[in-house]
Amino acid sequence: MNPVFVIAGYVLREAASRKFILAFMVGLTLVLATVALSLKLEVVDGALAATRLFGNVVRANIVSVDVALRPIFRAAAYLVFYGGILFGIVACSDFAPGLLSPGRIEHLLALPLQRWHLLAGTFLGVMTLAVGGTVYAAGGLTLIFGVKTGYWTVGPLIAGGLACVGFAAVYAVMLTTATLVRSAALCSAAGFVLLVGGILAGFRTDVSRYLEAGVGRASFDAVTLVLPRLSALAVGAADLASNTPLLPGSLGMLLGGVLVFGLGALAVGFWHFEGKDC
Amino acid sequence: MTTPPPALEVQGLRKTYHRAFGRGGHEALRGMDLVVPAGSAFGLIGPNGAGKTTFIKSVLGIVRPTAGTVRVLGGSPEDPAIRARIGYLPERLHLPGTWKSPAFLATVARLKGLKPDAPGLLRLLERVGLSDAVDRRIGGYSKGMRQRLGLAAALLGDPALLVLDEPTDGIDPMGRLEVRRILQEEVRRGVTLFLNSHLLAETERVCDRVAILADGRVLREGRLEDLARGGARWRVRFAPGAQASALEAAGFVPVGAPASESKGAPGLLVEGAPAEGVYVVDAADVTVLNAALDRARASGALLVDLRREGADLEAVLLGAVGSPGVAA
Repeated sequence: MNPVFVIAGYVLREAASRKFILAFMVGLTLVLATVALSLKLEVVDGALAATRLFGNVVRANIVSVDVALRPIFRAAAYLVFYGGILFGIVACSDFAPGLLSPGRIEHLLALPLQRWHLLAGTFLGVMTLAVGGTVYAAGGLTLIFGVKTGYWTVGPLIAGGLACVGFAAVYAVMLTTATLVRSAALCSAAGFVLLVGGILAGFRTDVSRYLEAGVGRASFDAVTLVLPRLSALAVGAADLASNTPLLPGSLGMLLGGVLVFGLGALAVGFWHFEGKDC
Repeated sequence: MTTPPPALEVQGLRKTYHRAFGRGGHEALRGMDLVVPAGSAFGLIGPNGAGKTTFIKSVLGIVRPTAGTVRVLGGSPEDPAIRARIGYLPERLHLPGTWKSPAFLATVARLKGLKPDAPGLLRLLERVGLSDAVDRRIGGYSKGMRQRLGLAAALLGDPALLVLDEPTDGIDPMGRLEVRRILQEEVRRGVTLFLNSHLLAETERVCDRVAILADGRVLREGRLEDLARGGARWRVRFAPGAQASALEAAGFVPVGAPASESKGAPGLLVEGAPAEGVYVVDAADVTVLNAALDRARASGALLVDLRREGADLEAVLLGAVGSPGVAA
């Protein structure tokens, strides 16, 4: 078996033994079960006639079901996007430092595998975890709303996929940080900084206007230019989830930028780890 | 028939750990030359900070040497095919605490490119004395059990070279006997053993060759019996009643006698508790030795015991490093 897959399996096995991650999965299941059991949607001829949550009427206006569900899908998309990335930053912060820790890294590097296998396997394992969690959450919502309204859309799943792309860029930075310092706290911090930077980068034109012209604004523009525009990606994910039309080509540019940034960050990490003394 | 390449061949190995932003550095290895013959049981000893662990990490490609060449099993340590033939137990092996030992070994086996063999893994665990602990999580293992599991991981795939850094650390005396037996079995099988242990008695019992490392350099290296040999000195025991003055005149020095009191060999310091009839004599070859014995016998002394003087590994280490109070 390819060593990358074996390392990915190693990471997933470690994840499965974490109570924190298991608790998250249980919590997610409970939320989905609660929504499934307490939300009552009455759909008549493709229009939402009434909504009841825990028995109380939420909305009485009669609108077509896809329009009526737009706010819910947008909210779900933002929740999956930012919640998923935040949870991923916290939950996955110590996988790479753990694998690179003294006593474990020497053992792994003495085995017949290349150094890049370790980083690629860790990245693959974490992304498998992220995709699995996203499919479970977004797929659960899609299923619940589909069954209750008869309106089936893959929008939430696509939004979840975009969240995974955003998290891939964030985790690439966290993994590269782990090759520099074997600290889960610093890896988390790097992830948070990139998330905040990525949110600002999505609104860089608006934010830049509020800054004094000069070095400060130029620096802000320069830094946010290279950062992945995560907030713009989140908006795109929400639009897709709610079937709101997107600007032609905008999503492709966003995804391309995020992927280039993530691959660049990974390349730096691979290059540094290749020459590192462990 | 061709001679197999050395298991380990190092020339001019240097390693300097540089500080951040180029602020100097620490030179851990200062031009090491070492050859470990294939099939030997080789021990590396030296004081703390001598560079032993850096050396091991360098030959395994875990740290990047600053200069010098390293060949392992006739190839580069960077080559995965070469590393597949090496079994390594690090000094402080960090194991996944929530796993069970068969799962850990199965993962290591997959990373070594071995085919799945669950019964083989269980046999290996039995061999290292962990057959009763296969259903327990590794997190609940004692330090000695973790070392045994690390040894099992090193033995996976029948490696040609075993590099063990403190393999008996934390293992009880009975366990050490077991580990020693396993290592000796492996050496008999033709495996090259490279052992770094602070337990000199362990090294002495298992290894046939040793190298003494200090300050990043190899001070002495060779067969254990050659290093431990006390030169051309012999210890002789005569039956009670031998004339001390005649023996001293024949070149024999009583054990425990201060150097100044010895007449036969000026400058000869004889260590040891004084014992009646026990002497030492310096003889460059057997002719000289027999001539001295003939003189002793001519004085009426009766020979009871004769053996070559040797030093234990601790004495060899202290003699080479020259500083008491250091550990290997």
